[in-house]
Formats: sequence, C-alpha cells, structure tokens
Amino acid sequence: MFNEMYQSESVIRNHYNNINDWLDQMTSKVILEKNAEAESHFRNIGITFSTNNETARERIIPFDLIPRIFTYTEWLRLERGVIQRAKALNAFLADIYNQGEIIKANIIPKEIIYKKKSFEPSMFGFSPPRDIYSPIIGIDLVRTGPNDYFVLEDNCRTPSGVSYMLENREIMMRMFPDLFHNNRVTPIDDYPTRLLQTLMSLAPIKCENPEPVCVLLTPGPLNSAYYEHSFLSDQMGIEMVESTDLFVEGKYLFMKTVDGPKRVDVVYRRIDDDFLDPLCFNPQSVIGIPGIMDVYRTGGVNICSAPGAGIADDKAIYIYVPEMIKFYLGEQPILDNVETWNCEKEQELKYVLDNINELVVKEVDGSGGYGMLIGPKSSKSSIDEFKTKLSRNPKGYIAQPLLDLSFSPTLIKNQVEGRRVDLRPFCLIGEQAQLSSGGLTRVAMNEGSFVVNSSQGGGVKDTWVLAE
Amino acid sequence: MLSRTAEYLYWISRYMERAETTARLLDVGYRMSLFPNPSGYNNEWESVLSAAGAIEGYKNKYNTIEQRNVEDYLFFDESNPSSVYNCILNARNNALVVRTSFTPESWLAINKTYQEILNIKEKKFTKSDLPDLTEWTIEQVNLFRGSLSSLLRNDGYNFLFLGLFIERADNSARLLDVKYFVLLPKPQYVGGNIDNMQWSILLRSLSSFRAFRWAYDGNITATKIADFLVLNNNCPRSLSFCIQNIVKHLTNLTCSPEKVGRIYNNLKDLNTKIQEEKIETIVEYGLHQFVTQFIRKISSVDNEIHKEFFK
Repeated sequence: MFNEMYQSESVIRNHYNNINDWLDQMTSKVILEKNAEAESHFRNIGITFSTNNETARERIIPFDLIPRIFTYTEWLRLERGVIQRAKALNAFLADIYNQGEIIKANIIPKEIIYKKKSFEPSMFGFSPPRDIYSPIIGIDLVRTGPNDYFVLEDNCRTPSGVSYMLENREIMMRMFPDLFHNNRVTPIDDYPTRLLQTLMSLAPIKCENPEPVCVLLTPGPLNSAYYEHSFLSDQMGIEMVESTDLFVEGKYLFMKTVDGPKRVDVVYRRIDDDFLDPLCFNPQSVIGIPGIMDVYRTGGVNICSAPGAGIADDKAIYIYVPEMIKFYLGEQPILDNVETWNCEKEQELKYVLDNINELVVKEVDGSGGYGMLIGPKSSKSSIDEFKTKLSRNPKGYIAQPLLDLSFSPTLIKNQVEGRRVDLRPFCLIGEQAQLSSGGLTRVAMNEGSFVVNSSQGGGVKDTWVLAE
Repeated sequence: MLSRTAEYLYWISRYMERAETTARLLDVGYRMSLFPNPSGYNNEWESVLSAAGAIEGYKNKYNTIEQRNVEDYLFFDESNPSSVYNCILNARNNALVVRTSFTPESWLAINKTYQEILNIKEKKFTKSDLPDLTEWTIEQVNLFRGSLSSLLRNDGYNFLFLGLFIERADNSARLLDVKYFVLLPKPQYVGGNIDNMQWSILLRSLSSFRAFRWAYDGNITATKIADFLVLNNNCPRSLSFCIQNIVKHLTNLTCSPEKVGRIYNNLKDLNTKIQEEKIETIVEYGLHQFVTQFIRKISSVDNEIHKEFFK
C-alpha cells in the first residue's frame, strides 16, 4: 500500500510537510466553511454534470480540499512517459490508416484493428495535417509505489476533465492564497492558450488565414461535459458551435453569423464520430453537418481529433501500446501497462475464468466505471453472473489484476483519511508535444473503494506539480 | 458573432425584463389586495393577469380568481411561459449556451438567480413572502443589468439591449392597453379614490411612481400620466423611450448594414410620429387604437429581427 503523504505512520514525505502544517492549524469550523464555499462556487459558476441516473437538479462533483502533490522529479518522468505514449499512439494511427507496417511486422494482428467499430474505413489513405490524429490525449494513470506508475487507459477521442483541473486550482487559490505563497506550485492556467496554439498549428492545407479560425463543436447543453465545452471556448476566445451553426458550401465549411457565412479552418469537436456527418457515418443522425467529411478530406477544414482516432484507445489495442512505442519510436516504454488478459483469446479466457476472484473484468466498450466487476470485492452471485457473460461474449471483455491504487489524504467528515486516487494529465500534440503541468486527480470518496468515477461517488482534488 | 448567439443574447434580456414586469405586476396586485375593496370595483387580480398576458392560461387551470393561485401561477407555475420561474429558467438556459459571449459576472448573476429560485421554489412561499419575492426578483434583474455595463460594446451588447427594449416596449404597451380606460377623462370619477388607485397601479407597475412626481408639477391628471408613459423621453419605460433605444441599438449594430437598413425603414415612421405627437391628439383619436397599433408594430419589428439576423 502506497500513501502519497505518509512515508510511514509517523513520517511525512518532505514535499507534504507544508500541507501537513496547514492541515494541523485548520479547525473543523474552517473546514466546514471552506467546503461550503467551494460547493457554492462550483454551483454558481455552473461546473455541474449529469449522470445516467438523471435527477432534476444538476450535480456537482465533491471537491476535496487537500491537494495532491508531485515533486518536480516525479513529474519529469510522468511527463516524458505520457508524451512518449501520445506520440506512439499518433504514429500508430498514421500507420494503420496508411501502410499498416505494424501489421506487416506481425506485431498487431490485423483483425483486431480492421474489424473494430472504432476503425474508420473512410480515413484510409488520408493524412491529416502534421499527421496528427489525436492532438489532445488524456492518459489515466495510477500509482502503486514510489516509482511504480501504470497506465490504465488512453483517451484519444475527446478526453474531458480539464475544466476541473483548471477550476480546482482557481478555487484553491481563492480560498487559500497563503498556501500558494508558501509552496512553489507550477501554474496551469496557460492550458487553454496552449490548446488554442495546438489547434491553430493544425490548420488544413487550404487555409490561407495566418490565424486560422478555430471553433469548438459541442453536442449541446444536454451533454454532461457541456460546462467544459463552454469553459474552454470562452478561455480560448473561440466560438462554441452546434452542428446547426455549421454548413458546407463548395469545398469549405462555414458558420452562420450575423454578418453572414464565415469560414472555419479547425473544428475542435467534442461530439462522437457517428454524429459528424450524416452523409458519411450515421444517416439517421439529425445532428451532423452534411458534407463536412468531404471538405475534411480535400483539405478545406481540419477535424480534431480525426474521425477514427478512437481505434487507438480501444481496450483491445491498449495491450499493444508498449510494443508500439518500441516499434515506432525505437524507445523503451517509460510508463508500464497494467497486465491485461484479452478474453477473446481462448487460453486467456480460461485463465480469467479460473482466477476471476482476483481480477477486475471490464467491458471493452464500457466507461464511467459501469459494467465492470471487481473480483475480490464482489459477491458470489455477481461473479457467477459475469462468468456467464464472459462465456457468452468473450470478445466483449478484458481482465486485469486489481491494482493497489495509492492513497491520498482526504477530508472525510472533517477527519483526514486515506482514499484511493488516480490521475489524468492532458497531453497536447501539434507543432510541439507538451504535457499540462498537473492533471485531474480523481478520488474514490467511499472507504475502501477502488472506483474514482464521478458517476459512482468519486471526487476531485487540486493537483500540484512543484517547481524545480 | 454566431446567429444563434445573437438570438440567445436577445432572448436572455427579454426573459429577464419579463421576469421583472411579472414581479412588478404581482407587487401591484398585492398592494391592491391590502386596500378595502370599493363596491362595483373590478377584481384587481384579474387585470394583473390580463396585463401579464396570462389570463387565458390561468382560467384553463383555475375556476376562480384567487390571490394565492394568481401568485402561484405568475411566480412559480411551470405551465405559464411568463412565470418568473420560467423566465429565469429560460434566461439561464440561454445564458448557459452563450456564456462565452458575455462576461463571467453576467453569467454569475443569472446562474445565481437560477440557483436561488430553485431553492425558493422548493420551499414555496407563505402569503407574507410575496413582497420579498418580488423585491428579490427586481434585485436580481438589476444585478444582471448592472453586470452588462462591463461588456464590450459590440454587437452582442446591442442585441442584448435590443431584446431588452423590445420586451419593455411590448410590456409597457400591453399594460397601457389593459388599463387605457383609466387614462380617459371620465368626469364622474375624476379626482376620486378609484382614479387615484388605478393611476397608482399603472405607475407602480411601470416602476415610475416616484419618478412621475419628479417629472410633473401640480395635480396628477390622466393626461399627464398618459404623456409620461407614452411620450416622455425621460421616462425609461415610456413607449417613446423604448422606441428611441430600439433605434439606437439597431443602428449601432456593425454587422450587415443592409439588414439594419431594412428594419430601420419599417421603424422610422413610428419613431418620428411618437417623437412629434402631442398627447392630447393621441387621447382624442383613441389611446386604445394607438397602443394596439404600437403593439403590432413592435411585434413586426421583432419578427424582422428574427428573420434578418437569427435565421
């Protein structure tokens, strides 16, 4: 068991000393007040989310006051590891949509790729600007020891959560300015600027504008990440559009403005592939932009992330990422994968069924912490239920060992208690590759829980990277 | 600016303005209910409902006109599109979409109002709370308007104010339409209690009760009040003030001069007429007719704005 703050029961890790002192002098009254202040702030700015279980009132994610801290050296390694991974994933996408060298080299079997729903055949033979398919990648990491980090999954489509990263910092600076006087915390508020630079550096070939016009495409206010969409477009100073605001004419994409049509160069889309273009993808979709794919393929607009980028974060592809890093970059992976059994393979399925009590079983297409089984924590009946599901549809599942996620001190009913955390830093790749100086730390607020997802009682923390 | 953004901005201020009007009408109704009811005198809650344009909806829902129900219908009812609750809800939902087009302060003002009305609605209200509710509403709307002063003076700003003045012109005119008879000289009532009461209703619902006293010397007369509410350019709720501001914010738009030109052409006759007209002439030829025409014109301008800019 690794605790982020305590080296042992009585010894505090150096970089947590200041926080420990700060905690010592905080009374229960102050904690209550600050918790209320944070909650009312989040409600007022509207940083809310909805879950599958819809109630009338929007929910806010529980926010824990105690920051999670990385030292400069710790972060340096994560930074190199995440950027390495993000580069490899983009190289993989460029490869499979063109020559397919990694298949020819017998590293990844072709049926794993070409039969996936997330593989987009219409992308074949097309190269997006700078060969970047996925310019914004969120990597989910967990820690199990001082130097042991594992990647749980990659998010190459439209990773969300960065608005929480930024707002958590804002509220901390507002509530506890002294903490920031006494600790050298690397700022993160330049993330939106860097995101915009990244998008502008990915202008399509036919763009003549020295300052490409970027827009953020949202599915609309009912989307659970809508706050983030409006937050990011506001911070970048770009229009947040819905698909009805856009239309194709000739070989270009335009948005409807009060001055008439205005050309759009880069679309940062936060909608799924299926809803991009009814002519190309889902003909039933009422929310697409007919013809946008044609404009895209002829270089009139760039779509970020590229359609079909989702194949790179498929749970079945995940297994091969360390191989990709070696194959494309000629480097040793800096961050490890979690050992994963692919139930599609007969032998591995057998292992999973025999050892299911020790394993975590996940749906290949599942997310949000739904549809998974945590063997060591489950009743016999739900284990049996999963065994049946597995035998019926083995290719729908993967299994991993239950990782002992690190504990981070967390305020539970005014007491400091250990709760498990993960981390999602955000990597940007355009003209250059860079990592946010921090990320979103999610915390499983329930005692003993391994699930950090907000839909299942997870909370968030401010994440600090200390300056050198 | 996106057409949709312009449209949402326009409607945010329409909704906020409407919330204030409804709240003021409720306040008037409440005051009237505290006074002894003179015989032969119309039920004041009924005219409050008519002025709010909610009489039909109300009657579909309730058989009798009772204070408690009127209050509930005008303040909280989700089936009444102009209830204060719905206005705030709609303004907030629009603001959520275009929050990037105005300042964080404006968004906060609207969103806080929304969060608070959810709490208020959960607790509902007791009879004595109505003045608090109306006061709260007016305060919230003022907070929102105040936040607009920090906006860039761009087209978004002008669309916000176009919406505000279109809504206000419509609201003022409708109120006058419901109460126009009060402003006609009727010898038998002049100077009587009923007139005083009716006039005060009109002035209060247009937040002009004190302002009128400052603007006109001497006795309160029907003609003076009509002049104040129709033609006085110093009165921020008079029809002429609204028209002037509609013209101002319309012609300040920098986008599409030809669209602006088309709408302006439709509007300029009314503007000229209202700036030059004498109140005696209007009353003589029919205040009711004048106001009806005015409402029709405002509605056609509103249609044109939608057609030219938002489609």
